[in-house]
Amino acid sequence: MSTPDPRYRRSLELFTRAAQVIPCGIYGHTSPVANLPGEFPYYAGRASGSRYWDVDGNEYIDYLCGYGPVVLGHQHPEVEAAAARQQAAMLCVNHPGEIMVELAEHLVGMIDFAAWSVFGKNGSDMTTWALQVAREHTGRRKILKVTDAYHGIDPWCTPGHAGLLPEDRMHIHDFAWNDLDGFERLLRAHRNDVAAVIMTPFHHPAFKASQLPAAGFWPHIEAACRREGIVLILDDIRAGFRLDLGGSHRTFGFEPDIICLCKALANGHPLSAALGRADLRVAASRVFLTGSYWNSPPAMAAALACLKVMQREDTPATLRARGEALMQGLVAAGDRHGYRLIPSGPPAVPFVTFADDGNMRRQQRFCAAVTRRGAVFHPHHNWFLSSAHTPEDIAATLLMADAALTELRAEGL
Amino acid sequence: MPCLDALASNDAAARDILGDTRAKLVFRVQGGPAITIGIADGAVTVTRGAAAGAAVILHFFSDRHLNASFAGKRWALPLLAWGGWRIGLLTRFTRLTDRLKAVMDGSAEVLATAEGRALHARLSLIAAGLGLGPLARGDSSAQAALSLAPPGLAVFAIRGAHHATVWFDHGSRDCNAGWGPPPREPDVEISFIDSAVAFAALRGEIDTIAAIGAGQIRVSGLIPLADGVNMAMERLSDYLQT
Repeated sequence: MSTPDPRYRRSLELFTRAAQVIPCGIYGHTSPVANLPGEFPYYAGRASGSRYWDVDGNEYIDYLCGYGPVVLGHQHPEVEAAAARQQAAMLCVNHPGEIMVELAEHLVGMIDFAAWSVFGKNGSDMTTWALQVAREHTGRRKILKVTDAYHGIDPWCTPGHAGLLPEDRMHIHDFAWNDLDGFERLLRAHRNDVAAVIMTPFHHPAFKASQLPAAGFWPHIEAACRREGIVLILDDIRAGFRLDLGGSHRTFGFEPDIICLCKALANGHPLSAALGRADLRVAASRVFLTGSYWNSPPAMAAALACLKVMQREDTPATLRARGEALMQGLVAAGDRHGYRLIPSGPPAVPFVTFADDGNMRRQQRFCAAVTRRGAVFHPHHNWFLSSAHTPEDIAATLLMADAALTELRAEGL
Repeated sequence: MPCLDALASNDAAARDILGDTRAKLVFRVQGGPAITIGIADGAVTVTRGAAAGAAVILHFFSDRHLNASFAGKRWALPLLAWGGWRIGLLTRFTRLTDRLKAVMDGSAEVLATAEGRALHARLSLIAAGLGLGPLARGDSSAQAALSLAPPGLAVFAIRGAHHATVWFDHGSRDCNAGWGPPPREPDVEISFIDSAVAFAALRGEIDTIAAIGAGQIRVSGLIPLADGVNMAMERLSDYLQT
């Protein structure tokens, strides 16, 4: 960012102020560092449907959807009305509301293997608690996970490096996605000491193309967990409800013991959930779980409304159709300009990378050029569709992508 | 040692110390590596191996001996294998290394001026970059950090008047590193907008994430490579402070 882009003047002003009083200015996954500093907006002003506007007034078709939570589009009227009704009644009281029971019943009815549900606020709340439940249930220590998989920000799994002790990950062991030999080696090395295997339904690491499970991968993992008495935890926080309203395991043909959900659950309202099998119910009851705002009814009302809209409208089918149109259009645009674009991941949670772009510079310039034209493409993180994306949005985005590819070609990238 | 070259190139005080000296000094570790320091025309060159015709040969019995000697331990003086009578040259060289230590450590006198701070930043960056090769070859923590990073050429650069560039080729057979123009287009480049930002960043005195967001530090290309190399680089201070 040698010369500040005047498009982002207000964003940069705010960032300058923020950097005086907030570590990193903006921390975590929304930090400019994770994107392309100076080439993307830093602060948002408002959002509606498939669009949002940054604090400088620039308008974007949103393919990040708040990094996943917005599945029906920003400010969905039914969801917001349900949340507002609950908030008018109570926000934070000494007891849960009736809505918590209703939501748990509804979710247990949607997730085929589940007999119970608990709630938190963020994905990490649920993944970390699920590990504790698995350890309580099995009396074992070890956790197996996939290398580069994101499961949250707690010490056992954070992608950050600071403030950690070697002991934090003493019992966490990694194997590569689709590497069943590596998985079996870990099982042999830690036989009778593996409490849980925690995995996302497909692999969506940052800075890399997404990977779907190879044929036989999930059935093998599931069978091994059954054979060894290991709790299989599905971290469906990112993909949940986007692929299948009954959980992403149904897309890939297996059944976990616990499923962790968040993001699309409440269309942007802060809520996460974990659901599990009946035989884990006692262990779940023993592992302490709470938070200051975890019983707050408005987010639960938003979730119930969001789930009902998704069921009524078959939202996964819409997301799949829009995602396929976007991916096919991008690949075709790449072909026209002599670039091989490689779509990865399910169409509803897609990502696109360039062939022969090991240092990601082409990817970064392309995503910045499309974003500058009005559709936010993250260069290092998978994208999200929402049911608010219209065919017209997709068509407009493809025009922007075409122009961005022309720009890339002119730059000799 | 490689920083002596940069010191002489950028520091008038160091050039005053060198004067019109023309000589070669060899440092060798028994059963280990050797380097030759050539001094001529107010410049210093550092090359691997023991060159012939050295005026002084300093012999160390082990890596530990060498490390202790450079840490200033009185018991760890090197064996003067040749040239013990070159008192003037040895004195000049000692003054030069004292000056290097003052710059690298960031003594109060050095940091009192903008020039001194820029020199400190420049030499710290060079030391950090060139230190990556040995770290990658011999430090288990650095190796663990680098094992998570994709292979590629990482470049660290200071822009502006006191520009400096170091590079590290992660994944190359010898973990090559150097300073000056990189051997090919880098896969990731981390550049400091000027020596003041570099000074603060290399001393851990600024919020580097905020500095990146504000455009004071620029990262372009393969960010996971920068992340891994940066983690490995952090190990260097453990050695330099030992």
